[in-house]
Amino acid sequence: MTRPGAITPPEALDRVEETLGPWVEEHKLNFGAVDFICKPENLVRVMRRLRDSEHLGCVFFTFLSGVDRSELGEGGGGLEVLIHVYSPEFAIHVTVHVPVDPAAPECPSISGIYKGALWHERETHEMFGILFPGHPHLTTLYLPEDFEGHPMLRSFKLPTRVVKAWPGAKDPEEAAAGGR
Amino acid sequence: MAMTTEGPKPASRGAGAEGRLQTEEMILNVGPQHPATHGVFRLLATIDGEILINAEPVIGYMHRGYEKLVEQRDYRQITNLVSRMDWLSGINNELPLAMAVEQLMEIEVPPRAQYLRVILCEMNRILNHLMFFASFGAELGAITPTFYAFREREDIQRVMEATTGGRMHFGFFRPGGLKEDVPRGFVDEALKGVRQVIERLPDYENLLVGNEIFKQRTIDVGVLDREAAYSYGVTGPIARGSGIDMDIRKDEPYLVYDKFDFDVCSAPNGDCFDRFWVLVGEVGESARIVEQAIEDLPPGPIMGKVPRVVQAPAGEVYVRTENPLGELGMYLVSDGDRRPYRLKIRTPSYSNVSALSHVLANTYVSDMIAILGSFFFVLGDIDR
Repeated sequence: MTRPGAITPPEALDRVEETLGPWVEEHKLNFGAVDFICKPENLVRVMRRLRDSEHLGCVFFTFLSGVDRSELGEGGGGLEVLIHVYSPEFAIHVTVHVPVDPAAPECPSISGIYKGALWHERETHEMFGILFPGHPHLTTLYLPEDFEGHPMLRSFKLPTRVVKAWPGAKDPEEAAAGGR
Repeated sequence: MAMTTEGPKPASRGAGAEGRLQTEEMILNVGPQHPATHGVFRLLATIDGEILINAEPVIGYMHRGYEKLVEQRDYRQITNLVSRMDWLSGINNELPLAMAVEQLMEIEVPPRAQYLRVILCEMNRILNHLMFFASFGAELGAITPTFYAFREREDIQRVMEATTGGRMHFGFFRPGGLKEDVPRGFVDEALKGVRQVIERLPDYENLLVGNEIFKQRTIDVGVLDREAAYSYGVTGPIARGSGIDMDIRKDEPYLVYDKFDFDVCSAPNGDCFDRFWVLVGEVGESARIVEQAIEDLPPGPIMGKVPRVVQAPAGEVYVRTENPLGELGMYLVSDGDRRPYRLKIRTPSYSNVSALSHVLANTYVSDMIAILGSFFFVLGDIDR
């Protein structure tokens, strides 16, 4: 009951390796999805290949977002752009990690390849402060124009819990302490 | 109302050499409050005479920052947050979160819980689709569908309420299973509800789908082509109305969807009529799934082996499920804590509505509401 032309994840990994070989690093399988790291300078080329290659056919754009890995512990890494695309023809899932420089985060826009990225890049821009050169209209999507800071960065703390602790037991192990 | 799929060309703006009226562009602000939007949504429309040249959706009026909030809360608390994203499909929203945690923790969900999840999700899909059936009719000036749909909705709504205690925000799925077993009489009531829907579905089809006025307003209006649908990441009934046969329940069966016999509704033209046709067709398919699932419903526990404190081990997983409005995906990055390190929520309405400006360009102003309505979106799902 899977898609008619579906290929297995290991096959998908081989195909990605074959098609994108030198431009991507650390390709592996993660829960059935092909997962790799791609440097920003190679991204446009890689995404175009993913979409146009007849062995991959990843024409479906799932999402683009960011992850701030600065507090993920050892080997966590820094800021990255996260892209997911899917091939309806071969049922291949591809997750692309694009590490960007936290001091001056910049990642080329892929909105010329996947139109769906237009909104996702605007959101990632305001939430993580990542610039997307090549985006035609990189304005805020959710936040007011004069909003200061980039809320999805780990350094942006939610003030409510910092100012005042939650009044009462919120976890099973605290319940014994009586909460209030 | 003869309109080609390419849409009308903008009227000439120069002095009427061909005898046309001189027109100029103006900007029309639709919303943020408009009855045709399920939430607070604004459309900046540039119009020239009767023609919409460009339409830019403005969102963010209901942004609640869920992706930030979930980083402060543990997995049990998040269930109730995500339930409020698309408020017409509350229980479906809870599913990918539970599944993501289960995959990282390698929890096995008992069969009874899986069957009940399918039943509840599909009943919720019926509720969702009937709501859009009602509202789309109302947007086109037909009020009767509202009364029809709400009559059937109420029966299923009552079953959901008796089971979960909620009418919109259910908070019923847990990582590992369900909050509790279904109450006595659930099977009979649920069967009665969905059988009634199946029985009355022909009425629905006759009421709108076969209606000449309805056809005039929707056929060949607001065409979304396949390539654009892929490129924008459009999913659900909207994509299937454009000839895309993607349905995650079939493509990558999760829960126990591979055990049921149902069809993926799709239609080739990508216009408002086809989107609506798919939506109505899916009501019947969901009802069929519920019937089969209830028949096979196994006894047994409703919770898997879950530790008292739910802590997902470090790792990353992307889980996607077929929400009533399209693909709902959650990309969970865990560092081994009780809280997610990062949870990217990919909601269907967000990607679907981002294709609106593409579809609305070069259409008639009078078709605008029909096209908006046929995109079946919930603002809470877009703004999160």
